[in-house]
Amino acid sequence: MKGDMYIARSPDKETADKAECGGAVTALLKFALESKKVEAVVAVKARDGNRYDGVAVVITDPKDLIETAGSLHCASPNIARFLKEYLDGAFNSKIAVVAKPCDAKAIIELAKRNQIKLDNLLIIGLNCTGTLPSAKAKSLFKEQFEVEPADVVGEDIEGNELIIRLKDGSEKKKDLAELEEKGYGRRENCRRCETNIPVMADIACGKWGTTDKDSTFIELCSDKGADFFEAAIEGGAIKVDQPSGNAVESRKKKDQAAVESAQKWQEKDFATLEEMSAEEKFSYWSEQFSHCIKCYGCRDACPICYCEVCFLEAERGFIPPGEVPPHMLFPMVRITHVMDSCVNCGQCQDACAMDIPISRLIFMLSKKIGAIFKHEPGMDVTALPPLRTVTDQELGQEGVEVTF
Amino acid sequence: MEEFEPKIIGFFCNWCSYTGADLAGTSRTKYPPNVRIIRLMCSGRVDERLIAKAFTAGADGVLVCGCHPGDCHYQKGNLNARRRVAGLKPFLEAIGIGGERLRLEWISASEGPKVAETVKSFTQTIKKLGPSPLKKEAE
Repeated sequence: MKGDMYIARSPDKETADKAECGGAVTALLKFALESKKVEAVVAVKARDGNRYDGVAVVITDPKDLIETAGSLHCASPNIARFLKEYLDGAFNSKIAVVAKPCDAKAIIELAKRNQIKLDNLLIIGLNCTGTLPSAKAKSLFKEQFEVEPADVVGEDIEGNELIIRLKDGSEKKKDLAELEEKGYGRRENCRRCETNIPVMADIACGKWGTTDKDSTFIELCSDKGADFFEAAIEGGAIKVDQPSGNAVESRKKKDQAAVESAQKWQEKDFATLEEMSAEEKFSYWSEQFSHCIKCYGCRDACPICYCEVCFLEAERGFIPPGEVPPHMLFPMVRITHVMDSCVNCGQCQDACAMDIPISRLIFMLSKKIGAIFKHEPGMDVTALPPLRTVTDQELGQEGVEVTF
Repeated sequence: MEEFEPKIIGFFCNWCSYTGADLAGTSRTKYPPNVRIIRLMCSGRVDERLIAKAFTAGADGVLVCGCHPGDCHYQKGNLNARRRVAGLKPFLEAIGIGGERLRLEWISASEGPKVAETVKSFTQTIKKLGPSPLKKEAE
């Protein structure tokens, strides 16, 4: 039933050993493929064994799933965009997809825009407290941990610590907050992300709430997810226990702590943009936008930008063509088109060749707009983009400035 | 020094505020000549692009006028404008243009005096704010 919680692990020893936390996610994916509930699985694997280069892959043979077992913290592939661009937004096939909270949110935003068919998707969400930027992660391991990046076989964020596991089986720990002070650590958007448990997915999986290293805490977040999970238990694809009250409590507490730390980062990040006077803001952003090389990277990376023919293209005649930096309209239109639905995935800022803090600005605006319209992007597929949707109730509100 | 005369772009709805402005004209009501009115079929036509374009083209302020809620010729077009303006203000604020440079007003076809009043007070506001920072860039 929706809302049920379990502690789960894979009954298969190979999966449990190779994967993390008992291999529950891999076992679920395997069951999905074997029972023909889905035609394909979208997951992330290390390209050529390189942990710093995670790519989204489509898997149809259950045997190949083992390659995707285990988490990659130094990669953040664009799952929602991948689904939409290469798999027809799941309009023609049933797909199970493994998603971090931001991926799941982006999938839901695209579903609102009719670009992904949610009915055909089974979203298996993974808890996430952040990913590391891959190039920076390498220098972090080299300079701070003093290990060869190639020797790292696993990373984990536990409470305030970044833990790395090495080839020889040893572990090293460092305080995450300290690393982040020094400019290392998680991606900027991950630091300020408040969604650690993907409750908007069908099934939320994570290690919070478990006591050993060989099991996964699972929450069933939708009826579809519950039906699937119960079928998996019946089919013997997964072993489950009931979590104790303590386990549920500790999961909640850990989430709370991560949310609080995210809110602190939000305050800090937004303060850098908010504390300026109007003149300073304007010269700051004019300066930032003057670095733009009009590569369209942010637009192409944005999981919720979906127009077939973008208004920013030269042939639309809106932005003067052939100018670098582009006309001020370019960033203005780019930002205003997505600012009501930003899921804080950080893909735009990752893609930006000129390091313009665009994700910070868009996310800040989306927070403000969310407060005006009481809207949180990516949580509910029936809550349509607030700047594009009016409701019948509003007809009765007369003023110019009303509470929505 | 010459007094600063702001340039204001007005997006007026064909069914109400534009006719309202007409009424203000035929009743010889005086209002500042700073506003350049663009007639739209509905204030719901106003989107982020139009407003951004107006500002980058050198407008010091943008005035959007539509029908009172419930009076829209297309039922809910004006409500779209209300949401967009509400959403755009934080954006204009954040990049240093200032949310006060964008105003939305409901004006019906019979409210000629309200057109004059609105334009008057908005021109005053913009005069106080001074020229838009984007204007210097546009020139």
